[in-house]
Amino acid sequence: MTTATQSGGGVSPGPSPAGLADVIDTILDKGLVIDAYVRVSLVGIELLTIDARIVIASVDTYLRFAEAVNRLDISQEKEGLPGLVGGMQEGGAKHKTKGALEGAAEKLRDFAGDGSERQTASRRGSREES
Amino acid sequence: MAASSQTQQQTGIYVYGILPGDIELASDIPGVGDPPGEVRVVHSADLAALVSEVDLSRPLGSPEDLAAHKEILDASAADAPVLPMRFGAILASEDAVAHELLEEHRDELAGALEELDGLAEYVVKGRYVEQAILNEVLTENNDAARLRDQMRGADPDATRDARIQLGEIINNAITQKREQDTRALGNAMTDHCEASLVRDPTHELDAVHVAFLVRVDQEKDIEDVVNDLSAKWEGRVQLRLLGPMAAYDFVGATEPEG
Repeated sequence: MTTATQSGGGVSPGPSPAGLADVIDTILDKGLVIDAYVRVSLVGIELLTIDARIVIASVDTYLRFAEAVNRLDISQEKEGLPGLVGGMQEGGAKHKTKGALEGAAEKLRDFAGDGSERQTASRRGSREES
Repeated sequence: MAASSQTQQQTGIYVYGILPGDIELASDIPGVGDPPGEVRVVHSADLAALVSEVDLSRPLGSPEDLAAHKEILDASAADAPVLPMRFGAILASEDAVAHELLEEHRDELAGALEELDGLAEYVVKGRYVEQAILNEVLTENNDAARLRDQMRGADPDATRDARIQLGEIINNAITQKREQDTRALGNAMTDHCEASLVRDPTHELDAVHVAFLVRVDQEKDIEDVVNDLSAKWEGRVQLRLLGPMAAYDFVGATEPEG
């Protein structure tokens, strides 16, 4: 499911189009590092660093999972009631969509830099903070 | 274009990646920057670099910049080996690209391109379907089921500890499933790839996230593998195959997993 919007137009060829999140996962901390090859005419530029966050399980994660189990229970209990089925399914779908959008928004927010997440210079695109 | 001295330099030369010298620019994908720079080829003997001019006064890293970097490299990846640079590589001049980068490291770069000849990177990404995976865990794990029953109808505030405990059990169970499913994917792909690299999960419901180095003429085979797995995991995991792309995960001085 590609949820991130394809900005800048142009769909890449291949089996499946890459969304923004896929791009971030791929090019940010991978590829040849030019400092390893060239130092003399290296030029610095301000890079908006993007925090492609790696999943660190926390209490928040746990509570989210518990909440999801709770939702699961509700939708399964109501399954037997004909009058509610349609509504519940809709609710379920809404939840899913919301989750996906939140994910995309998170990535996008990181992209925007938010001011606080900007980092000056260091053309390493460093992700030292963990 | 001159980098004659240390005078205030307004523009730099952004380097996307390195390819064999006989490539030609087929497409006119816009480069990084705003307005986007025009992508050009810098040649040196049997090597070439894809570059574009970039304004140094403006920070780089917008979604458009990142997408441009990747699209420009991936557009070539199916036809020619590509050594991708990490995002943000800028040199003072095209001359520096030709000499300091290409010429001085010719053997190493040409050797790496030779190794990549006929290969491209593909990434398989899978996300668990939340309801399905939760049901799976609750069915398989008695503790989880017990905690779920305990929470039922209870005041959420009173069961906070139980909920945290339940969530932790689920998280651990999903981590285990991720490892199992990643192994299953690796086993299914093993005959069709030259190398593979497991990427870190980027979402708590990530099922698999693996980069594969594959012969471009075997693309159909890996499509079949992914389709088969996708059918097997129907309703449980949403699988996607991305590529062909430049071999981002398989270049670089640092050897993954020493």
